[in-house]
Amino acid sequence: MSIASIKKIKKLFSDLQKARREVVLPLITLTVAPYFGFIGVIAFNPNLFSKLVGSGSLSIGIILGFILILHIFLVTLTYSYLANKKLEPIIRKLIKTQSM
Amino acid sequence: MGLNITAILMFVLFVGITIYITYWAAKKTQTAKSFYTAGGDITGFQNGLAISGDFMSAASFLGISGLVYLTGFDGLIYSIGFLIGWPIILLLIAEPLRNLGKYSFADVASFRLQQKPIRLLAACGSLCTVILYLIAQMVGAGKLVELLFGLPYYSAVMIVGALMILYVTFGGMLATTWVQIIKAILLLSGATLIAVLVLIQFSFNVNDFFKAAINIHPKGVNILAPGGLISDPISAISLGLALMFGTAGLPHILMRFFTVKDAVEARKSVVYATGFIGYFYILTFIIGFGAIILVSKNTQYLNELGQLIGNNNMAAIHLAHAVGGDLLLGFISAVAFATILAVVSGLTLAGASAISHDLYANVFSGATFSEKKEMQVSKIATVFLGLLAILLGITFEGQNVAFMVGLAFAIAASTNFPILLLSIYWKKLTTRGAVIGGSAGLISAIVLVVLGPVVWVDVFNYEEAIFPYKYPALFSMTLTFMGIWFFSVTDKSKYAHLEQAKFDAQFFRSQTGVGIDKSLNH
Repeated sequence: MSIASIKKIKKLFSDLQKARREVVLPLITLTVAPYFGFIGVIAFNPNLFSKLVGSGSLSIGIILGFILILHIFLVTLTYSYLANKKLEPIIRKLIKTQSM
Repeated sequence: MGLNITAILMFVLFVGITIYITYWAAKKTQTAKSFYTAGGDITGFQNGLAISGDFMSAASFLGISGLVYLTGFDGLIYSIGFLIGWPIILLLIAEPLRNLGKYSFADVASFRLQQKPIRLLAACGSLCTVILYLIAQMVGAGKLVELLFGLPYYSAVMIVGALMILYVTFGGMLATTWVQIIKAILLLSGATLIAVLVLIQFSFNVNDFFKAAINIHPKGVNILAPGGLISDPISAISLGLALMFGTAGLPHILMRFFTVKDAVEARKSVVYATGFIGYFYILTFIIGFGAIILVSKNTQYLNELGQLIGNNNMAAIHLAHAVGGDLLLGFISAVAFATILAVVSGLTLAGASAISHDLYANVFSGATFSEKKEMQVSKIATVFLGLLAILLGITFEGQNVAFMVGLAFAIAASTNFPILLLSIYWKKLTTRGAVIGGSAGLISAIVLVVLGPVVWVDVFNYEEAIFPYKYPALFSMTLTFMGIWFFSVTDKSKYAHLEQAKFDAQFFRSQTGVGIDKSLNH
């Protein structure tokens, strides 16, 4: 492998690190924060979740719980989308340079 | 309930199909690679179904719908907790795991660390998790089959044990995966059917549906609010941690990532699995509330004391009868039995691989190693674990095993997950740190559960628990991470330098997949 391609690989790998951080860190926050927020309300202020809404047959807790389930799925979907769009092209370039 | 003919016929049909699959899989399962990873060419979608099948055990189907039936909102706390581990697996673990490993998560943990001590620890962590989970499943299976099929407890445990030995020994991961996929489809369809048949009675009007439940349930409007499941902040955080990170340390789940060809498919698997599992938990919630409305006041399903026949975990089963008669009851009973069978098979395979791949091949065999022998050991280990599961299932009949799945999660979160995570991302990790910290987590999780309310009070019947909290993860995980950190950074041995020096190359591979163990390079 030439010095030029080693340099190129190093550059691509650091790009990959940066891109991955930009994708993963916000999504980790979007996973951990709402979850511990949810658990936190149950532990510290459960009355907040008992408030009824609408015609009195649903509570805030149940609605937020369902939204959280949907949100968790959307986080995985978003990651998959961003990984394919932002990370895979760099990885492909890296592998190509590596095998040159 | 007496002998249930529909249930038995449907179950026999399921067994027939799965035995045929095992026969087909056995012809393809000739190498260690195919035994552990189904040949490595399962697609992301199939693996997503299989993973969700592993996760949707009878315990979570019957247990969570039973919890919702009993407490309403609190059931949702568990559902969300079981689901929240999936983004964590996806964002941090899935791709590096696939890029670095071959058959088990210990491959990753020991990638740059010393093989023997790390494999030994990882195998202990895996086997503890697997055996605790197995006991809980076997006892559940025995009770369920006794009730649904009218068969004696011990014969149910033996049928489950025998079938699982058959699937795993002959069909390996390929049979186990397809049994799991079929079961996942059956369970998702069955649960959907019950939920639809319930909601149709309310013309799909959610307000009317919940209103009916509030009017019937003795707790009234309080079923929509947090109840007594989590009473103090420490328990809340501790349970939250165990559920969140425990999933990422379950060996039978982690093993599934080696059945797909690369990191891209591993990623897809998690997205599909999260979708299926999330959908399934929404169904269990509807089923639990449906049972409040249609089962809790129907004397057909209650004993003299006004409680559900069987116990609260039978809520979903009774509801199936209430909305779909004997036919749906038979179908759901058969699905529940199939579920247990599929889950114990996956667990046994993960346990067997810890024995044959981690302990035999990489710790004890030394110069006598050959792949053929590793295969033999894996099959012997399967039979051994199967017999052990039967024995433990019979031993623990009538015992309170509710704490076992919780303990399995605590161990997975306190031992397997930290070593895996830090071996992938933390350069300074050394063998000494991993072994001391990981062992501390394993021992403390077990000790704190034994001294806590769920064993000390509920099983040993002492007045007061020595350790006041039900969930140890907050304490045991802290101990693990502190131990790993301290004994790694103070490790000045020559091994430590070598291990740290190997990190960059490992990290490169974990992030890019260059050098990945492919399905064909054998």
